[in-house]
Amino acid sequence: MKADETTAMTNVQNRVPRPAGEKTLGVARWGWLFIFLAFVSAPFWLSVNNTLMAEGIIVVALFAWATNFLVHYGGLTTFGQAVFYGTGAYTIGLFSVHTKVPFMVAFVLGPFAAAAVALVVGALSLRARAFYFALLTLGFSQLFYSLTLVFYGFTKGDTGIFGIQLPQFLNSPLWSYEFILGVAALGALALWSIIRTPFGLSMMAIRDNRTRAESLGINTYSHLLFAFVISGFFCGLAGALFIVYQQHAYPEMLNWQSSGTPILISILGGISSFAGPLVGAVIYTLLENLVGSVTTYWQLILGLVVLAIVVLYPGGIVGGVRHFLRTGAVKTPEGEKRKTGA
Amino acid sequence: MAGIATAAILFIVTVGLSLIFGTMRIINLAHGTFYMVGAYLATVTFGAVASRTLGFSLTLLFAAVIVAALGILVEVFILRRLYGSEHLLQLLATWAVMLILEQLVIMIWGPQNYTSSLPSGLAGGVEVGAQQFPAYDLFLIAVAVVIAVVLWVVLERTRFGRFIRAAVQDMELIRVLGVNVTKLYTQVFAVGIFLAALGGALMGPSTSVGPGIDMNIVVEAFIVSVIGGLGNIWGAAVGALIIGLFQSIGNLVIPELASLAPYVVMILVLVIRPQGLFGKVEG
Repeated sequence: MKADETTAMTNVQNRVPRPAGEKTLGVARWGWLFIFLAFVSAPFWLSVNNTLMAEGIIVVALFAWATNFLVHYGGLTTFGQAVFYGTGAYTIGLFSVHTKVPFMVAFVLGPFAAAAVALVVGALSLRARAFYFALLTLGFSQLFYSLTLVFYGFTKGDTGIFGIQLPQFLNSPLWSYEFILGVAALGALALWSIIRTPFGLSMMAIRDNRTRAESLGINTYSHLLFAFVISGFFCGLAGALFIVYQQHAYPEMLNWQSSGTPILISILGGISSFAGPLVGAVIYTLLENLVGSVTTYWQLILGLVVLAIVVLYPGGIVGGVRHFLRTGAVKTPEGEKRKTGA
Repeated sequence: MAGIATAAILFIVTVGLSLIFGTMRIINLAHGTFYMVGAYLATVTFGAVASRTLGFSLTLLFAAVIVAALGILVEVFILRRLYGSEHLLQLLATWAVMLILEQLVIMIWGPQNYTSSLPSGLAGGVEVGAQQFPAYDLFLIAVAVVIAVVLWVVLERTRFGRFIRAAVQDMELIRVLGVNVTKLYTQVFAVGIFLAALGGALMGPSTSVGPGIDMNIVVEAFIVSVIGGLGNIWGAAVGALIIGLFQSIGNLVIPELASLAPYVVMILVLVIRPQGLFGKVEG
């Protein structure tokens, strides 16, 4: 369903007109329901270790969704989303170290703290455009990363804050898994809905043609800033969920590679489809765990996979599969390169 | 003086990044990794041959040329296929190159650090007026000045340089005028990578060379190029001086916060001038 609606609204990507309408919409909706149920039931048919891996996938997928909201739908290439991811995680960590605030209160505050930081970072960064914006957000990412290292008395420096106590009901592996899944699914649903509001449409209008959007009376700066804050909020939520998953907040969550990872994941899966970040998160995590367990060359393999995707299937895995289903051709034509992507 | 020497290396690395960006509109995330390969190659070969200043200088060139050849391979086989596509995909491709090269470096040279010593001609100090300066710092500054002059002559006085300046101004136009853009891109990328590797090779003797040195330099080079204005060579020089000086002053005054200085400077500059000090406004 995502693709059909996006296509209708943003006149993007697909060269072959798709039979938009009830039937495909219904199929996609059932598809999502199936995926959701598969994830809900995962602890019952996966081993404990694999369930933990699925938890990681869900957290990373939400991070990628929140980032892709800005990168694809807002047209803003950012290398700073890790700041908000880290803020979400560190909010819980810092509260647990320095105060007696209950976990759930800190958990709820995490995304709001991330959104507040995003408001400041966004307000400053959005003054710059295009490459300058990308590199300015990268600078912020490195600034916050360095800050956590420098103020080690407050943030516990490079070891980070670990052993964060979870509340009673999250101590069972099953319930913490279902909690992460439920919250992440709500987050993804919220992002999906926001894209379809008038605000989301204006955001995409700005992406497609900023000058035209401006002359239509859209306040581009405040729209993009709001989008930045929303993305920051959900990145923070992903960071807070990471604490439920690993009980550990550490500085590398905030550096520029960490900011880039959700973009890499989105492109791996397919940046222009809503399923992309999820597919990318699955592939990325599987690669990391499978390759990482047999060789130490995981980084090399990841680099090669990314190169293959970028050069051969710029629409990502989802784009490639869709192209195959539509035309039966495995190789995407050269021309499509120009049309897919952000 | 140490600040200016750091700035000299930063300038050499950043000017390569800036050339590539200005001409090809690619943010080369792998730039620091080419620098790292240059540093490894030079450091490993110094030990074998370079006891004299001339041999030392030749190893520097040797390392930079080898890495530039590697850069040409990357441009021809990977980047060239992506010129029509989104900036984001190009960015990701250079990131993938970075991941691959980093791993290859560790596979070839292992996780340990390497150190090398300076040739006797450059090891001591030099009296300038009443003060004593490390000879190698002066050497670095001299190399940076030579590179700046050579670049200026090439850009202002040669056909190749005219094409680059034209490409920075308006890519479409020079394509229409019949310039072989494919060739120009390969040449510019090779020159840019040559400079990155030369910077790495020069840095080798003054610190130890090990995994991770690429990350620091690439972020610093980004900051310098953004402060100066992307694609602007004189901006790179000014930006490098600013960052180099702020770092060494920071180290004297508040050492624990010195690592934050580059980011704070960058954010201040961009908030006041979103296109950098000498940059033009991006569309």
